[in-house]
Amino acid sequence: MLAEVGFATLIMALAAALYAIVASVYGELRHQEGYVLSGRNAALLVTALLTIATGALWLALVQQEYQIKYVWSVSSPAMPDFYRVTALWGSQSGSLLFWSFLMGVFSAGAIVLNWRSHRRLMPYAIAVMMAVIVFFLGIKIFIENPFERWWIMPDLPRDSQVISASIMPAGALTPDALLLAQSAQGLNPLLRHFGMAIHPPMLYLGFVGFLIPFAFAVAALASGDLSTNWIKASRRWALIAWLFLSLGLILGGRWAYDVLGWGGYWGWDPVENAAFLPWLIGTALLHSIMIQEKRGMLKVWNMFLMVGTFSAIIFGTFATRSGLVESVHSFARSGVGFPMFFFWFLMTLISVALILWRRSRGELRDEHAFTSIFSRESLFVLNNFIFVALALVIFWGSFGAPIVSELFLNTDITLGKDYFMQVTPPLFLALYILMGIAPLSAWSATSLVRLGRSLLVPLLLTLASVGLFAVGGMSTPVALVGYGVVLLAGWIAVYETLRGIIARQKSHPETVLHSLAQLYRRNPRRYGGYMIHLGVTIIGIGIIGSTLFQVETQRTLAVGESLALNGYELHFDQFDGQAISEDGRIMDIATMSLWRDGQKLATLRPRRDFFPQTEGMNSMTIAGAHSTLENDFYVLLVGWEALNASSATFKVYINPLVNLIWWGSFILILGTLLAGWPRDILPERVRQSRPVTLPRGTKGALS
Amino acid sequence: MAELTWEKAAPADKKKITPIKPAERMKFIVGGVVMLAAVLYLVFSGMTSGAQYFITVDEMLSGSATYAGQTVRISGAVLGDTIQYQSDKLILDFTIVHIPKETGDLARTLHEATLDPAANRIAIHMENIVKPDLLEHEAQAILTGKLGEDGVFYATELLLKCPSRYGEEAPEQSFSQSQSQPQPAAPAQGG
Repeated sequence: MLAEVGFATLIMALAAALYAIVASVYGELRHQEGYVLSGRNAALLVTALLTIATGALWLALVQQEYQIKYVWSVSSPAMPDFYRVTALWGSQSGSLLFWSFLMGVFSAGAIVLNWRSHRRLMPYAIAVMMAVIVFFLGIKIFIENPFERWWIMPDLPRDSQVISASIMPAGALTPDALLLAQSAQGLNPLLRHFGMAIHPPMLYLGFVGFLIPFAFAVAALASGDLSTNWIKASRRWALIAWLFLSLGLILGGRWAYDVLGWGGYWGWDPVENAAFLPWLIGTALLHSIMIQEKRGMLKVWNMFLMVGTFSAIIFGTFATRSGLVESVHSFARSGVGFPMFFFWFLMTLISVALILWRRSRGELRDEHAFTSIFSRESLFVLNNFIFVALALVIFWGSFGAPIVSELFLNTDITLGKDYFMQVTPPLFLALYILMGIAPLSAWSATSLVRLGRSLLVPLLLTLASVGLFAVGGMSTPVALVGYGVVLLAGWIAVYETLRGIIARQKSHPETVLHSLAQLYRRNPRRYGGYMIHLGVTIIGIGIIGSTLFQVETQRTLAVGESLALNGYELHFDQFDGQAISEDGRIMDIATMSLWRDGQKLATLRPRRDFFPQTEGMNSMTIAGAHSTLENDFYVLLVGWEALNASSATFKVYINPLVNLIWWGSFILILGTLLAGWPRDILPERVRQSRPVTLPRGTKGALS
Repeated sequence: MAELTWEKAAPADKKKITPIKPAERMKFIVGGVVMLAAVLYLVFSGMTSGAQYFITVDEMLSGSATYAGQTVRISGAVLGDTIQYQSDKLILDFTIVHIPKETGDLARTLHEATLDPAANRIAIHMENIVKPDLLEHEAQAILTGKLGEDGVFYATELLLKCPSRYGEEAPEQSFSQSQSQPQPAAPAQGG
C-alpha cells in the first residue's frame, strides 16, 4: 500500500513539476497572470506530493515493510527505531528521495516568502527550481526507485526467481513476510552513529539550499531584471545554505574522527573534497555579492560564482553517486552516472550561455571601476581569487588529474594527500591574512597609513600571543608563523568589535553587554561577520595544532600494565569481552584509566563492536577519548587475545587543540545566525522600541 | 494583492564611470600575473611530490621495472584466507588478486576475481596499522605504497570498498524458498 502511494505520488509530482515549468514560463512570456499563478500553485503541489512520497517511505521504514526493497536493504528487525528514521538517507535511492523532498521544501519556502517582494523574478525562478526537481524525480522514477518491491516469479528458473519491480508483474507471488524480515540487511554499522544520523541531512540542506539563490540568479538572467534584486532575494537563502553546508562538513569530520578510527577528521578524500568545493565557491560568493550591493561592481563575476556553486554541487552529487572516484564515502556504482553528468553539463552550459548573452548585450556592466589596488573591493577580489584558486586546485587534485590522465595519457594518475598538504596551506594562510585586513580597508581607496593605524593594536596582540607560545616551549617556526597569521585575523575581529562597543559607550549610557547586543542588532552583517571570522580563527588554530603536533604510539599491554606518553599514564584496568547490547551488537570493551601528575583524569572505554547479523563490514572500532581544550587523548582498541584477554593492543593518539575545531564551529554557527537573522522576525516589542528607517531600495517587509 | 509590473526595469544609469588610471591598471595586471604564477607553481610542485600511478595488479607485475621504487596506488580483490594480522605488532599481511575490467556489478566482479586460479596475485605487507573493520574476503582494496625487490607490495595506506554494501543480490535467495518446492537434496558425493 505505502509503496503504491509513494510511487503514484512521485509520478504525479513529476507531472505537476513539468506543468509548473510550462505554465510559469508561458504566463510570463504572454503576460498572462492566470498561468503564472497556476504555475506557482502547481509548484506548491509538487512540494506537497513530495512530502507524501517521503512520508510513505518513512512510514514503511518505521513499520518495517520489508517487501519494499529499500526498507529490506537498510533496516532489520533488531535495529533501534532511531536508526529506522535515519535509514531514509542510508542508501542511494532513499537519500535521493529525501534530497528531492528538501528541494521541494526550500522551493515552497522561497515561493511563499519571496512571492510579493520579488514578483518579477518568481516565474523563472519557479521554472528553474522545478526543472531541477524534475530531473531528480526522473532519476527516481526511472532508475533508482525507492518504492520497488520484491516479487517471486515461480515460472522462472530457481536462481532468478526473485525480482524487484515497482508494479506487481503478472503471475508474481509475494515473498513470505517472516523470511523477508529474517533476511533483511540492517543499516550499515558505520552509519549507526549520531554524527552520521545528522551529517547527511545537514549536508543535503546545504546543497539543496543553494538551489534557491541559483534559481533567482538564472531568473534574473532570463527575465532581464539584472539589478541587485536577485541578490536581495537570495542573500539570506545563500546564508542559510552556507550554514548548513558548513555544519554538514563539520559533522562529517566529527563522524570520521569518532568512528573511522584513524585519529583524523579530514583525509582529502575525493568525496570530502566534492562537498568542500561548493563551500569554497559559495563563501567567495557571499563575500563578493557585498561589492555588488554596495558598489554595483562584479556583476558578471557574481553570476559566475553563483552558477559555479550550484554546478559544483551537482558535480559533487554526480561524482559521489556514480562511482567516478574511489572513496570510502561513495555510494554504489549505479545507473545514475550518465544522466547526472548530462544534467550537470546541460545546466552549467545553459547558465553560462545566459550570462554571456546578457553580458554581450551590455546589461551586466559595472557601475564603478576599480580605482586603487588597496581598496576594500580589490581586497575582496583578491579573497575571491584565492577561494576560487583553492576550489580549482582541489578540484584538479581530486578529479581533474585522474580524469585527464585516464583520457589522454592512458594511465591513471591520482594525487595523494601530499599534493593537498603542499598546495593548500599557503592559500589558506593567504585567506586568513585577507580575512583580517579586508574589513579594515575602505571602499574605493585606503591609505596605507590608515590601514596601518587600525592594524597596530591587533598586530601587537598577535605578537604578544605568539611570544607567549614561544616562551611556552613551542619552537617550530612553521607553527609560529601559522598561528600568528591565523591569530591576527581573530584579534582584528575581536578588536573591531571592542571598538564598536567603546564607540557606543561614549554616546550611550548603557552596559557593555547591552552595547554588544546593540551592535549585533544594528549592524548584524558586520558584527555577525566578525563573529564568523573569530570562529574560523579558532578552527584554524585547532587545525594547525592537531595537524602539526599529533603524537601517536601503540603498545600491547597486559591487564594491570600501563604505558606512558607525554606525561600521561594510561593504565589497562580490565577487559570485558562479548558484552551484548540491546541492538544485537557484541562489544569487546577495554576499561582504562588515564593519569597525569598522579591524578586520575578519566576512565576511557575503547571498544570494538561486532554486528553478527550484518553481512560484511560488520565490525566497528570505537575510540575512547578524553577531551579537553588542550588536547584529545584518543585510544583505540586494536587487538586482543581471543580466549582469556589477558593482554590487548592499543593505539594511542594525542591530538593537540583538536577540540578548538568543534568550539570554533559553534561560534561560526552563532555568527552566521546573527548575520542572517531576518530583522522582521524580531519580536514586536523590539521593533516598536526602535523606529526603523529602511534604506532606499530595501524591501518594505515590516508591513 | 501583488502588483504586477511587466515593463522592464529602468536601464541602469548611464552615468560616467571614472576609468582606472593606467598606473593603477598596471598594478592590477602585474598583481594578477604574480598570483597566478604563484598558484601554478604550487600546483606543479605539489604534483611532483603527490602524483601516483593508479594501476591494477597485472599492470604492476608486467611493468614492475617502471614502477619499482615509485609510490603507486594499486587496486585488487582481497583473498580472505590470506589475511594475517599480528595485533601485538600491528603488522598486517594479505594477498590481493587482479580484478578484471570492472563491470556494473562490483560484487560479482570481485567474487569472480577471487575464484580465478590463473589470475595474478600480489602479497601486501603493512606495518603500524590498525586492522580495518572492512578488511575481509572479496573486499576491494586500494593500496598506496611501493613494490619491494622481494615482490611484496609495502603499503602505507589502505582504502577498502566492501561489496556487501553495494550488491544486494546474493542474500535475497533466502526468502524465495517459501513459495517454491523444497530444495532437492544435494547429489551424493563420491561413490
